[in-house]
Amino acid sequence: MGSLFRSEQMCLAQLYLQSEAAFACVSKLGELGLVSFTDLNPNVNAFQRKFVNDVRRCDEMERKLRFLERELKKDQIGVYDNGDNPPAPAPREMIELEAKFEKLENDMKEINTNQEALKKNFLELTEMKQILMKAQHFFEEMDRFDTTEDEALIDPNTPQTVAAAGKLGFVAGVILRSKLPSFERVLWRACRGNVFLRHAEIEMALEDPVTGDVVNKSVFIIFFQGDQLRNRVQKICEGFMTSLYPVPEMPPEGLHNLEMNVTSKIQDLQLVLNQTEDHRHLVLTQVALNIRVWFIKVRKIKAIYHTLNLFNVNIAEKCLIAQCWCPTNDLGKIQDALRYGTEVSGSSVASILQQVTTEEQPPTYNRTNMFTESFQGIIDAFGVSTYQEVNPAPFTIITFPFLFAVMFGDFGHGLLMLVFGLVLVIREKFYLAQKSADSEIWDMIFGGRYMILFMGFFSMYTGFLYNECFSRSFNVFGSSWNVSAMNFDAVTLGNASALDLDPVTPGVYRGYPDNYINGSGYPYPYGMDPIWQSAENKITFQNSYKMKSSIVLGFAQMLFGLTLALYNHIYFKDRLSIICEWIPQMIFIWCIVGYLCVIILFKWITWKDPASAPSLLIGLINMFMFTAPSKADGTFLYTGQSTVQIFVVLMIVFCLPWMLLAKPAVIYYRRRQKANRSQRNYNLAGGEMADDVPIIEQDQLDVESNSIQQTEPDPDEKDFSEIMILQIIHTIEFSLNCISHTASYLRLWALSLAHSELSEVLWTMVMHIGLSMAPPAGPIVTYAVFWFFAVLTVGILLVMEGLSAFLHALRLHWVEFQSKFYKGQGYAFLPFSFESIIQGRVDE
Amino acid sequence: MGLFDFAEVGFNVDNGFLEGLTRGFKNGVLCKEDYRHLTQCDSLEDLKLHLQSTTYGNFLANEPSPLTVAVIDDRLREKLVVEFQFLRNHAYKELATFLDFIKYSYMIDNIILLITGTLRQRQLSELLPKCHPLGIFDQMETVTIANSTADLYNAILVDSPLAPFFKDCISEEDLDEVNIEVIRNTLYKAYLEAFYDWCEGCGGATAEVMCEILGFEADRRSFIITINSFGTELSKEDRAKLYPRRGKLYPDGLTELARADDYESVKRVAEHYTEYRKLFDGTGVGIGEKTLEDKFFEHEVTMNVNSFMQQFQYGVFYSFVKLREQECRNVIWISECIAQRHRSKIDSYIPIF
Repeated sequence: MGSLFRSEQMCLAQLYLQSEAAFACVSKLGELGLVSFTDLNPNVNAFQRKFVNDVRRCDEMERKLRFLERELKKDQIGVYDNGDNPPAPAPREMIELEAKFEKLENDMKEINTNQEALKKNFLELTEMKQILMKAQHFFEEMDRFDTTEDEALIDPNTPQTVAAAGKLGFVAGVILRSKLPSFERVLWRACRGNVFLRHAEIEMALEDPVTGDVVNKSVFIIFFQGDQLRNRVQKICEGFMTSLYPVPEMPPEGLHNLEMNVTSKIQDLQLVLNQTEDHRHLVLTQVALNIRVWFIKVRKIKAIYHTLNLFNVNIAEKCLIAQCWCPTNDLGKIQDALRYGTEVSGSSVASILQQVTTEEQPPTYNRTNMFTESFQGIIDAFGVSTYQEVNPAPFTIITFPFLFAVMFGDFGHGLLMLVFGLVLVIREKFYLAQKSADSEIWDMIFGGRYMILFMGFFSMYTGFLYNECFSRSFNVFGSSWNVSAMNFDAVTLGNASALDLDPVTPGVYRGYPDNYINGSGYPYPYGMDPIWQSAENKITFQNSYKMKSSIVLGFAQMLFGLTLALYNHIYFKDRLSIICEWIPQMIFIWCIVGYLCVIILFKWITWKDPASAPSLLIGLINMFMFTAPSKADGTFLYTGQSTVQIFVVLMIVFCLPWMLLAKPAVIYYRRRQKANRSQRNYNLAGGEMADDVPIIEQDQLDVESNSIQQTEPDPDEKDFSEIMILQIIHTIEFSLNCISHTASYLRLWALSLAHSELSEVLWTMVMHIGLSMAPPAGPIVTYAVFWFFAVLTVGILLVMEGLSAFLHALRLHWVEFQSKFYKGQGYAFLPFSFESIIQGRVDE
Repeated sequence: MGLFDFAEVGFNVDNGFLEGLTRGFKNGVLCKEDYRHLTQCDSLEDLKLHLQSTTYGNFLANEPSPLTVAVIDDRLREKLVVEFQFLRNHAYKELATFLDFIKYSYMIDNIILLITGTLRQRQLSELLPKCHPLGIFDQMETVTIANSTADLYNAILVDSPLAPFFKDCISEEDLDEVNIEVIRNTLYKAYLEAFYDWCEGCGGATAEVMCEILGFEADRRSFIITINSFGTELSKEDRAKLYPRRGKLYPDGLTELARADDYESVKRVAEHYTEYRKLFDGTGVGIGEKTLEDKFFEHEVTMNVNSFMQQFQYGVFYSFVKLREQECRNVIWISECIAQRHRSKIDSYIPIF
């Protein structure tokens, strides 16, 4: 467990890398992913750093690769992925790659321009064909129209009309369908209604040669009279980006021939187009085979140069100086990597790693695996732990699913959840390989698969204790209540809807050892007696039981948290905090909550007579009022209770000033002493400087350390008033929290009540309907109702209730548990690792 | 504004998301530190590298080297347009109208650009890329067929949102260079007045913020028109018609401006207004001195920055667009200075934050 209990021990190290070996070394370290480099030139602009040109070259390569990737996507060619992870190529290979990409990009661009031109040609011809087709249609219509009109309007007095109509000019073209209405309107306005526009939709969608988008277009033909109008119309057409095509004025047969002509041209062009398409496809499939590997290579090179930019360049010694945090345990591995890097690059001088002592707080590094990752995740979401303080994650692995299950306790629901978790875990490899990463919600659920598994398992356990499975009970061991011992007569049984079972009547409740009948009785051995399921006072009984057990559970967890605080204090050698904070806190919490838990357990174990059961609530209030317990108001528990309770209350009161004042007082006293001592030292040094050499040295050291303290104020050396204020806040917080947090644990009861009530409602309102019907309708209705029941169970009880129980469990851990010991003021260790860079988890 | 004016209460229901988004965008506006870094760049590649570390991110990553200023300009504008279109597409009711008002000014510019271009016998295909993408509307391209303003209105603009602003400049005159300037200014005047009145109608903080900004815009136009009119054939009466009748100068200042004959008299008018006196003081064209134009820009930037101090109002959207625009101008200025190796004036940008 070692590293999970406390974060890894880290050290600050300086690396001296020969300039020729630096690339290889960093590359190796990147594969290792165990060091995080700090920026040694924070004041230098991004573009003034040493390797900026190389980074730029990488950018350029990435751009080309992105271009190729876009082309792949356009043609819907999948990228070939064999899971290879090539090492970062040496700098000299970069030129090769660059040349390769350059060539590919140029090839691709050439193909694209060719294809574009061909497509444009194709589009034009297609449009032309459409126009010819529609134009024939228009003209035919016009002819028909003309002839009918002619018949009606033939009038020897107006021969001009026919002559004038013959001189009608026309323009034909194609326009985007969406622009047609405004085109029509502008045309009408600009030509004052003196033009005649016909249009028809092109049924098939056309492809825009430049963007490759699919566009819908319409054919139009405009008839007008005179040259001036022609100019206008043409200008408008130009403005609306229409493409105009010359359509010769000829009879429909001629147009038809022309159309045939165009069609054959289109067919020819189609052939050529197909060939270019094939060529393009060929080139792209080659690209698709390699592009993933290229991307990885380029990203690695880029990451290396980015890292090298963080280094300090020592020109005189031809070496780069890097500073990094790394886990102390892995220093060996890092040394190996450096040695390997030096060898690969053929450098004659070894790279040196040197540990540096520092006052800076090291980063927090918790090694996780697939299982612990999600649990560490919920801890880190609250705050990354302070360097080397106790990490709550390992305990959370059990307590989190358990507290969740206390609220979610139902055997059936737990089973469903367990199965879901199991499926995720068993098919883990399959889902990991898919890495479809398209849905955040899925990622979250999948990431927490082990947590779901555990939550399901624990819910089955608590469900078994509550004896609830979809709100029904199992009678596994046989109930220990015996109705026949009540000797009800047939009339009573027949009339009453509910009957009292009196546990005191011999033989009714077989739980009391002294009430055994023939020695055959026993309390229900494990969990809740199934008879409560049908009892009228089930809720009253369970409320009191769950409420109390919540408090006991809560106290146990808080106590555990406080114990972990002791571990922290011991580890950080903070004896002052143990004596002046931890001990009074422990006494305080025991007196205020612990005592309550003790009497809860006491009452459970010893009380047998339900009629004279004591009231703990009133007893507790009386305790603080110093009212002596008496049997009359039901607060008497044991002899000597009064003395014990007075002592407990006095202890609580006594702990308060202890927590509040002891620590600041000691600090104040120590500081005064220290100040006196340094004053004395100074005087001493001034007096005996002449002959006593060792003392001078001592003094110099002292002065030095003093001056360091002055220039770099120690974070612990806070102003005294600040310490006092913090202590007041801490004391108030802790003492109030002891009560409020205990109350907060009552949510365990509240949620579990809500859950069991909801599932019971669902059963009686839905499933019960079907089951209570007689055949033949019964089975059919049951079948129909089952689906309803199933959907609601999953949707409401599993998902929604599950989320809410999850949230509350989270809160209990973050606030109630962790506030007792967890500071969470560290910062995470983000190692320089190719793996995370390639997966895109880290920005540059 | 009455005692029970609760317009702000419901503001976030419709506009909360967009306002938050805009404020987020505003946080991405380059600050002094960024400009200091940018001015230290030796080449446009350096500039690109530095912009990568700002909110512009990888907006130039897909551009092949070597970079040109034109490409940077395009991309900067594209970013503004994308952001604006997002806001516009999600805007609701009044905010949509407000954002449309912002767009109208670009439409006016585009129309004028197209007409001028046509007069100079430029091809439409050459002119279109120069139009601001925010000011593009359906009928815009057909502007070239118009020969007179009446034509322009009747055939083309009557359907466009600009129609109401155009009513004042319909005449049968042919389009020529002077006329176009007059049209531009008349259009702008009508636009500013309409926008101002609309904002005033909104009431609340919007009116407070926007009337101040638009009033300044109106006054600035009046000053600039007056100064630019010296030595042209524009008569004083015609000139007076071009002044937007809103803002601090209206009405007294405008009457005086209408009588002005030279720069000194304009300056004397400005003396009466504390804000404007500051702007006219110490302006010049020498090195180290700021031009009046720059001073106006600076004042505008201050006002736009201040508009973010008020909550629940539309001014932030206007100010954001204007600040982004200023930022584009700054970056382009710096890029030009770098590209042309003309570093002596590189510091003449107008810092925003």
